[in-house]
Parts: sequence; structure tokens; C-alpha cells
Amino acid sequence: MRITVLIKKVLQAALFYEIWGAMKVTFKHMFHKPITFQYPREQRILPDTHRGALALLRYDDHQERCVGCDLCEAACPSRCIKVISAEDVKRPLQRIASEFYIDITKCVFCGYCVEACPVNALAMTKMYEFSTHDKRTLLFDKERLYDIGERHLEDAKKYLYAHNQEKNVEESREYRYYFPQSVLKPTQPPPKHLG
Amino acid sequence: MGLKPATNPDVEAATIELSIDGKIVAAKNGVSLYDVISSTGKIIPAMCYHYTFDPFGSCGMCLVMQEGKKAPVRSCTAKAAAGMIVRTEGEDLFLARKKAVEKHLSVHPLDCPVCDADGHCELQDMAFQHGVTNLPNAKQKFIPEDTRSPVLDFNMNRCIACAECINVCKDVLMIDVLQFTKKDGFTQVVPKGDVALSCEFCGDCLAVCPVGAITNKFSKYLYKPWQIKKTTTTCNYCGDGCQMHLETKDAEVVRVTSLLSWKNKWGDRADTAKGHGGLCVRGRFGFEYIDSQARLKQPLLRKDNQLVPTPWLEAMHVVSERFAEIQRKHGPDAIAGLITARCTNEELYLFQKLMRTGFKTNHLDSSARYGHLNFVHASRQALGIGRSPNDWEDLTKAKAIIVIGSNITETNPLTAVRIKEALRVYQAQVVVIDSTVTNMARLASHPVLINPGTEGLVIDGLIKAALELDLIDEASVKQYPRAFEALKAAVAHISLERIAAQTGMSVDCLRSTVAIFAEAPRSIIVCAEGIVRQANGYQNVLKLIDLAWITGKLGQPGCGVNTVTEEPNEQGAVDMGVAPEFLPGQASFNDQAARDRFGKAWDMPLPAAGSGANLVEILKRCKSGEIRALYVVGENPLATLPASMEVRAALDRLELLVVQDPFLTDTGRMAHAVLPACTSAEKDGTFTNLEGRVLRVREAMDPIGESLPDWHIMTALANALGCEWAYESSNDIQAEIMKVLPGYYNLGQPRKVVPTVDRYLSSGYDSEVSARYQASAPAPKDQRPFTLLMGQVLYHSGKLSTAAPGLIKISPNTGRLKMNPQDMERLGVSEGANVRLTSDSGSLQLAVQADQFVTTQTCFFPEHFNEPPVKDLMAVQVDPTTGVPSFKQTRVTIDKA
Repeated sequence: MRITVLIKKVLQAALFYEIWGAMKVTFKHMFHKPITFQYPREQRILPDTHRGALALLRYDDHQERCVGCDLCEAACPSRCIKVISAEDVKRPLQRIASEFYIDITKCVFCGYCVEACPVNALAMTKMYEFSTHDKRTLLFDKERLYDIGERHLEDAKKYLYAHNQEKNVEESREYRYYFPQSVLKPTQPPPKHLG
Repeated sequence: MGLKPATNPDVEAATIELSIDGKIVAAKNGVSLYDVISSTGKIIPAMCYHYTFDPFGSCGMCLVMQEGKKAPVRSCTAKAAAGMIVRTEGEDLFLARKKAVEKHLSVHPLDCPVCDADGHCELQDMAFQHGVTNLPNAKQKFIPEDTRSPVLDFNMNRCIACAECINVCKDVLMIDVLQFTKKDGFTQVVPKGDVALSCEFCGDCLAVCPVGAITNKFSKYLYKPWQIKKTTTTCNYCGDGCQMHLETKDAEVVRVTSLLSWKNKWGDRADTAKGHGGLCVRGRFGFEYIDSQARLKQPLLRKDNQLVPTPWLEAMHVVSERFAEIQRKHGPDAIAGLITARCTNEELYLFQKLMRTGFKTNHLDSSARYGHLNFVHASRQALGIGRSPNDWEDLTKAKAIIVIGSNITETNPLTAVRIKEALRVYQAQVVVIDSTVTNMARLASHPVLINPGTEGLVIDGLIKAALELDLIDEASVKQYPRAFEALKAAVAHISLERIAAQTGMSVDCLRSTVAIFAEAPRSIIVCAEGIVRQANGYQNVLKLIDLAWITGKLGQPGCGVNTVTEEPNEQGAVDMGVAPEFLPGQASFNDQAARDRFGKAWDMPLPAAGSGANLVEILKRCKSGEIRALYVVGENPLATLPASMEVRAALDRLELLVVQDPFLTDTGRMAHAVLPACTSAEKDGTFTNLEGRVLRVREAMDPIGESLPDWHIMTALANALGCEWAYESSNDIQAEIMKVLPGYYNLGQPRKVVPTVDRYLSSGYDSEVSARYQASAPAPKDQRPFTLLMGQVLYHSGKLSTAAPGLIKISPNTGRLKMNPQDMERLGVSEGANVRLTSDSGSLQLAVQADQFVTTQTCFFPEHFNEPPVKDLMAVQVDPTTGVPSFKQTRVTIDKA
């Protein structure tokens, strides 16, 4: 018994049995569909509910949706949002965010701000690449956020839809609230359900 | 409904017992059931209730079940009665209240995210508390927002018709400019006559609005309540010392709110006698000067005839070197200092300590000199106390009030509210004697219009009438027979008829006024700028004290002669010894015992007794070259004093002028060094208000730019001059004041002091009294027929308020002279036409404006504005006893230009 075991071991050693076993796995993978993404060249397909970079949205007539209500700021658990609101100079009595900052380095991508937004001005996109040489560029200001919103408009709308926050573009305005407009310059007709 | 409070000083309501939720509760008969319930600590929701006015009963929230009634009753409008059995809790009541909330919400827009009241809204709280999540029959109003007023926006979509704004305006403030109207099928609040709101703009309607129907234009959309830091501090516009919440967001002041608010609606109506917690337009809307762009952010040094921004170290180095050099070369008496009474007590104390032990000079003065110092001297001379003896509660509960020479609504609006409450709630008789038709005169029971500048004669007449009608309090005069005889002899030559002819106040009127005053159990005299800031102010205050003495009102509870102050800490300036004649605690500078005490406390000998120059003297010596260096803290003599005092010439001769101010003032532009100081919002300290209450000033935000608190700069300067001061905060200074003036910090309660007339009436009174009542030659009328008055307007205070853009928006400098329309017609000038105004001191051309409340033969220009420089037409009269310059009144001619 001991002899046969010994011979087997010697034979296996002489014929590099274990290496052949390992090589078998290697050769098997040569004909296998690769699992690893070649990340920078290949991009993963993300679900619509994915919580990526935040974006500010506009209505179709290019009007800013954001009314500067500061509710996102209040909802944010990591305190990364700062809204400075004011009366719109061009449209009296209309509240607007004169400045809007999101420190994306602090953001925990919880999506509470999007949920808090009464006008669906905030949405999350599928953008997640933030690498930069200058960390200061990661403090997104209002211009940058609207820019992201424009570039990722489809994703943002899909996000709101997937999270059951917005049904479609036409209904978006009347989805939650209707804000009384400036009397001097009505910019939009009263919504259907109130008219 | 009977007016609350059920008890007043004269009538005590009966006590009754009733059962609330099974507990027996004692209450005063006739008060609101809601008050009784809230006094037990139970809080029933109510949106239209506020303790400062009568219950209105429109919100339908304060429902309770009363035994014997089928439906719930509104507890606010129900009167408490003996034997009532009341239940305040239960499922049925909860549902009934919920229904009321739903009713309000169904016509209320759901625009909370953009509403300024979001997070500070009673309707929101109620909806949350009662779990209102679904509104079956909601409808919208679509009422356009009323933005016509410069201060307040009315969004009547949000109004719940609680009428709190209307009630507070009508009942508490007696302004009454708001009303309900039915427009487009909805009841809404509009300014009376449905025009742009134009009122005193106290903003108390804004404070009590439980929703966002009334909003503030100056802070619109700038904040959410949870973002702002709230600091309770003291207003620094006038001597009322109102407490206010300064709400800041980082380095920006967002708004000012008052203690009066829909949030604290539970209280005892009788407590409003101490103040209703509201603010005036200056306090509430005049906050923008704090973070104004015009603030100085860096020290400035004069180099090549230009003020150049310089780092602190270099600036302080230069300033202290130059002071030390002048002190070395020309002696300490070549240095003088002026400080404003808008500084805190701690800073005022430190200033006089710096002048006396650092610079070793007694040439120092404060703006109280041309403020209420005449009153302080007179009151201290006669009664031994250099301040007003009565507090707000005394004023509210007085039975007779004589307001003489004071446009109190404009100068001290919240003290005026106390008089309004005395009128309205306690049915006091208020006599207003003034040469203009003041706001208080329009409300008063006995308004009297007199010729300008005859206030002193009116007092003579009142005393004479008291003697003639035998309204003398025997007990008071019996103690001092010699003094009384002297007084009688002194007024013997006065004839009431002649006084009536000169003053325009009839003999009957004089008699009835003094009868009202003498016969009331609690009588108060309020005299202000028309007496204390005019020529003979000192003597006229003493005359008023004489009047109070012979009618037995001196030292009686709730009686006294009072003044009001224009600047927040004038009383503090006097108490802290910022005057050449005073040491801290109003001790005389020449009093050896006090000198020893302070010399020991400060470890430094004081300047020689009898030395020292006051404001007028300092300017004179600056001009003659005796004083070579002037340290000016927050004062602006160039813009305040008339040209005839030759301020510019005096300042021009100085070798060193150091100005320490939050703004670059006219005086600052002439200075060799300008040091940026903080406003009261950026430092800790205390103010002493006109009642003598010491009130906290708290730091609400970090200093703007590189500015520093005044005490900090003064400590640095003193240490550079060789003193070893180790103050690190205003608390350290407070600790020292507590040691040298025990009992000064009185936890916000005015110190009760008993006036002592003994010394005054028993020694020397008889010799000086005859001079006091000598007939003065009547002013020659024909040469200059008009009297030019300069005074305060409601929307401004000194020069400080002109740095607040909001107040300038409400009341800009029109540059127009206010005149009676009749006079304008006689002169043949129309509104806006130019006239030439000529006085003995000069002449200028300016436009006129009709104002029916200015009496004929007078004209008015606000003292806050120097464009055109009307103040330079004024002549200056300096009081021989107190050294107070008076420059608010002069005779002029007006010609069509």
C-alpha cells in the first residue's frame, strides 16, 4: 500500500501533474467569455434607480425648476447642500435659488434631497466618475449642476420615474405643487387640475 | 366682552371657582375661559388668540365641552363664570378641532416650500398635530399679492382671517390701519381704504401673523427658520431698550423678530403693563446697517493727505505713539475725548477710565451732553437721583400723564405704546402740551397746542394755577415752609392771563390741566426734547419738579417727573461717569471721598479736582489750540452740531484726530487715523435704558472685516500708553464695574430709589427759586416770524439709521421743509416750490412740503439729514449751569425764492 502511494507521487511529480491541472483551468478560460469589464474602455449598464451625481433640472421652456425652498438642505444627512435663496430679479415674487452648492465629496448618495424636492428640480444621474486633479472642482455650483442636468437629462428623468416621483414631462409641473406666480408677469398658466 | 385685565390698580375683580377637567380652579370673574384654562398649564390650540388684545374667536380651534351645552364652545370668547364645569380633552374635541384645521387648509395654498413662514407657521403645526393628510374639497383663491407698501407684502391667499394683525394694530398700538374687506368672494385684510399701506410700520402685524400672509420685504425668501441663529439682544436705536431677536445667517443679518409673536400667545393681560414685547420700525426693519457695505473693514491712516488702509498693528502703533508724544510735549490737558451713548456700559466705563488714568485728563464727554443731561442735573440736584424715577408699569397704570415738549411716538415709540395702553385700558387722562400736533396729541384726552418755545412759560402757568386753585398738598409743603413761601413769592408776579396770551394755552386749560394732574392718585410728567434739549432746560425741569412737589407727587408710588432718551445708553453714559463732572455712579468728580475710592480702585491718582472740559468747552479749546489731540469714539460732531459752533475750524487745528467708528463719518474724513469699530450686534455688553434697567447686549455674529469691539481697541490703546489692563472680554470689565458700583447690574429690574428732597428744599432753595421764575422778555416776533424746529422722525434715530437702507427706503431724505398748508398759501408757495430760509446764522434755499400737523408760524426739518444743511442755521445757546448746548430751535424768515 505504501509502495503504490509512493510510486504515484513520484510519477505525478515526474510528469508535473499539478501544473497540468492548473493549466487546465487556464486553458479553459481561453475559450470562456470574459467576466471582468475593461473599465475605462467598457462601461457597465446601470439600472434606472442608480444613485449617481446630482443634477438640477429645467422645465421644457428652459425655466429653472428650483424654487430655492432649502428643503434639500434640510433633508441632507451629510450636510453637503447649501442653498442661498432670493427673490428672482426678473420675475418679482418668484422665489429662486440664487446660489446652489453640493459638496459631492461629502455626499453619501442617499437620495433624500431628491425625495424632499417639491418641484422635482433635483434628480440623480448615472454619472459616477468624479476623479480630478483639483478637489475644489468637486464643490458643484449651480451652473455645474444645471450643466450635469442638461447632459444627463434622460437619465435624470428615468431616475425620477423609477423612484415614482414623476410620471412624465407634461405632468411634471402639476405633479406636486402649484406655486402662485407673479401677478405682474404670469409666466405659466394655472395647471389643469386647478383651472 | 369686557376689557381684560379684569383687575386694575383701582378695582379688584371677584374671585370665582370653576371645574376644569375635574380640577377646581380659582379665577377672576369675567376673564376669558381660555385664559383660565391656559393659566392651569393646559394648552388648547388657538390660532386667532393673543393675550395682548381681546379674544376675537374666528379660528374655531379653542373648543371645549361645557356641561349643559350640546355642542363644543369656543373658550376664548366664553367668559369664566362661577360653577362652570369644563372638559378640554377627548376624542370628540380632537375631531372637532381637526375639522376646523381642515376648513382653514382647504382654502389655503400648499405653497409651503416657497412661503417665508414655512417652519414657523401655526397652521402647518396644527395640520401636523391633528394629522390632516387629505383635503377632499380644496380650492384655490388666486388673489394677487399686494406689494404696494415699501415694507410689508400681503399675500391674502394664505390668510386665515384670524384678525390678529387687525386687533394688534387697533387695540394694542392704536394705529388702526388694517381692516377686513370682502373682495372676489374672500374675506381679506387690506390697508384701510385699500391703498398702499402707509403707517408707523412697527411690524407687529407681521409678528402676530400665524401664517405667511404678511411677509417682510427686507428678508423675503432669504431664509428658512431652521437656518438662522437667533440672538436675544437689546435694540440700539433709542432709550426704550426693547429686547429683540436678531436672526443671523453666517455673516448676514436676515431679520429681526420681537418677543411679541404668535408663538408666545399665552400670558396675563396685566403683564403688558411692563411692555407688550413689540418693536418699532427702527428696531424691526432698521437692521441693515449692521452688514452694510459702507462698514469700515480696516484701519485707515492719513498719508499724503489721504486715508490709506493700514494693518491694525501699524495703525495702533502710530496712534499710541502720537498720543504719547502730545502728552509728553504739551501735558495731559492737551488731549480730550468724546464718545457716543450708543456704546455699551462697559465701553463707556473703560473710556472714562482710559481718559482719566491713561491719558490722565478730565476732558471727556458723551452725546448725553446734548441729550438728557439737563434732566439728569436737575433731577440729581433736587431729588438725588439722576434718572427717570418711573418705569413702564408706572406709566401704564398712571391716572394722569402730562406729556410736555415731547413727540414721544416719534422719539420713543414703545414708551408711547405704554401711554396708549394707559389711555385705552386704564382710562388715564393724558394731557399733551406741544407746539406741533403730535401723534400722541391726536390720541390724547386733552391735547393742547402752544406757541413754540413757550414750554417754560406753560410750567410757570401751571404752578401759578395750582397755587390759585389751592391744589396744594399740605403734607408736602408743611415740612418746608420757607421753601414754599419762597416759591409763592417767586411766582407772585405771574399772571395767568399774560401767560395764556404768550403761550396760546387758555387760562381755563391751564387750570384744568393742573387740576387733572393734582387730583389724580398717580400722576406722571414726561418731558423730553422740547424741554431738556432747549434753552433753560435745566431750570424748566426744576420747575416741573416744583410742580410735582407742591401737588404732593414727589416720592409717591407711581408719580414723578420723567424724561425719555434718544440714544440707547444715555443713562449708562451718565452712570458710568462719562462727563467731566461725574465719576462712575454719578458721584461728583470733585467729591474727595469718591475721588479717593476710585483712585484706589484704579491704582492711579485722578486728574485734579475742578479740571475738565465738557463738549462745548472741548471744541472751544480745540479751536484755541489748547487741546491738540482728540479721541472720538462713535461721535460725529461735524454732522451733529451747527456750523456756528465752528466744529470744522476746531478739528482742523488738531494735531491728532482719532476717530473710532463703524462707518466713515464726516468727522472721520477729517481724521488722522480711523479705527474700525463693531456695531452692537457684534459685541457683548449692557445698555441702561430710560427706566434704569440694565439690559444685555449679546454678540450675534463675528465682527465684520477687521473691525473690533470698542473695549478691545481701548484696552490695546491703554496698554500701549503704559497701563496694565488685562481685560479679555466685556465680562472682565463687568466684574470691575460690579466691584466699584455694587448693585448696578440689577438683573434687568430698575433699581427702586426713593427721591430725597430734603437737602434741596431745606438749603439754598429759597435763594435760587426767585431767579427761576423771573419773567423772560418775550421773543421779538416781528423780525423773524417763523420758528424753525429740528427734531426726530419716527423712522430714524440720530445719524445711525441713515446707514440702514431699509429705513432710508421708508423715509428718504426729501430735503424739504415741512410747513403748514395755510402758511404756504399765505406765502404763495406750492408743494415742492423753493423758498429762502434765513436765520441770524445764515440762509439757504430749499423746497417746501405741506404737513397739516405742523402748526402755523412754525416749520420743521428732520435732524437726521444734513442735505441741505439746515442745522447750520441754528444758533447755539449753552446752559450756564449744565453746559448743555441747545440747537434745535431758532427763529427764521421764509421768503418765496
